[in-house]
Amino acid sequence: MDWLHGAWAVFQKDLRLELRTRYAINALLLFVVSSLLLVAFAIGTGQVGERVASALLWVVIVFAGAVGLGRAFVAEEERGTVLLLQLHLRPSMVYAGKLLFNVLLVGAMNAIAAVGFVLVLGLEVEAVGLLAATLALGALGLAGAMTLLSAIIARAASGGPLLPVLAFPLLIPLLLTVVRVTQRALLLGASAGPWDASAGDLVTLGAYAGVVITASVLLFDYVWND
Amino acid sequence: MNTTRTRYGTGYRFLTIGIAGWMTVVIVAGLVLSIPRLNILEESARNLYFHVPMWFALMAGMIVSAVYSARYLMKPTLERDVRAEQAALVAMLFGVLGLITGMVWARFTWYVGTGKWWNFDPKQSMTAVQLMVFAAYFVLRSSIDEPRKRGRIAAVYNLFAVAIAPFLLYVLPRQLESLHPGGEGSPAFSQTDLAPEMRMVFYPAVIGFIALFWWIYTQRVRLRLAEERLADG
Repeated sequence: MDWLHGAWAVFQKDLRLELRTRYAINALLLFVVSSLLLVAFAIGTGQVGERVASALLWVVIVFAGAVGLGRAFVAEEERGTVLLLQLHLRPSMVYAGKLLFNVLLVGAMNAIAAVGFVLVLGLEVEAVGLLAATLALGALGLAGAMTLLSAIIARAASGGPLLPVLAFPLLIPLLLTVVRVTQRALLLGASAGPWDASAGDLVTLGAYAGVVITASVLLFDYVWND
Repeated sequence: MNTTRTRYGTGYRFLTIGIAGWMTVVIVAGLVLSIPRLNILEESARNLYFHVPMWFALMAGMIVSAVYSARYLMKPTLERDVRAEQAALVAMLFGVLGLITGMVWARFTWYVGTGKWWNFDPKQSMTAVQLMVFAAYFVLRSSIDEPRKRGRIAAVYNLFAVAIAPFLLYVLPRQLESLHPGGEGSPAFSQTDLAPEMRMVFYPAVIGFIALFWWIYTQRVRLRLAEERLADG
């Protein structure tokens, strides 16, 4: 079986299973919506600055990612389908399929969370394109890091609560950068163009995603094979 | 189980005596020799001899730990796992010491008059995060019982963290505003920063601290391997 075909098969399998049970989608969606309401109630009717709003948005996204993405490989262990995948596919195919599925999931979650924040907190978006680019690059980096970490978690005995401990310190470079760019995308009347000011940060985000995914591809074999 | 005996010969003993003597000279010279007087910095500039070399020791520990993690993945032996673990542990020790000496230094120079110990300077915050990564590595180790699996999974996490470390230690601190030397694109330590007479102590101090790291690390490895042998009976 050629590489693309195998990776695509894993992606399709995950997507189909997800559409049947809707566990991860529902968990992520409910997490985002309920924390959004929590934030809205806690803040009340007052106006929120773009700095606080972008920090809250990304904290919610990172926590939702830690809750919703941890099951990708644990579910395979529970269903007893690990051996089947190990027999039929090369490890990099499994990683690529899972990564693609997670990118899709996080991308959808980011879009929903951003739209929800803008509507509920009454924010005005200065640079829509920049915000979209940030959400997309953030999704790539977040999914890239979480895919390998969820594979690690599936091998550790006490899965769940360990994932945030392992993930959050590694996600801080991503978090700081996306918050900074989101802030610029929300800020009205910025002196320089928001795109020009964010060029370095967008390169950082791209580099983070690249480094994380490259390292994951190299290391995944050792997590996956016994 | 692998039962490598790590016995160190007389060469090692002479080397450790040498390190102890070297470090004594460095500490005495660092505290006693005269340094240029600068406003605010004053005598606290002596901290350069201790604070900065601690980061060299931390980097040395991270590199040793990563190298043994990679070698463990190539061929898993107990000794390589122990070496990766202990190098990370000693690196963390030097990291904590570097953070504390940095905090004290900042309190009496950057934040003099404000009474602050910590004001979220990017370099300080990011190194604190780097220490949290080490802590997470040890939490992960303790959560897996089977030794082979523990070694493999911990090695993967260690290498993954090392791949991200440059962002924490180099990229972000240079993008954010910082009082620390090395903010906004300049190198942390340039040729022109350091007075010639301070180099006479600084460079030996760097060598001394890296050697001190190596001494503690080799002793810890020996201890852990001895414990493993005892546990095997």
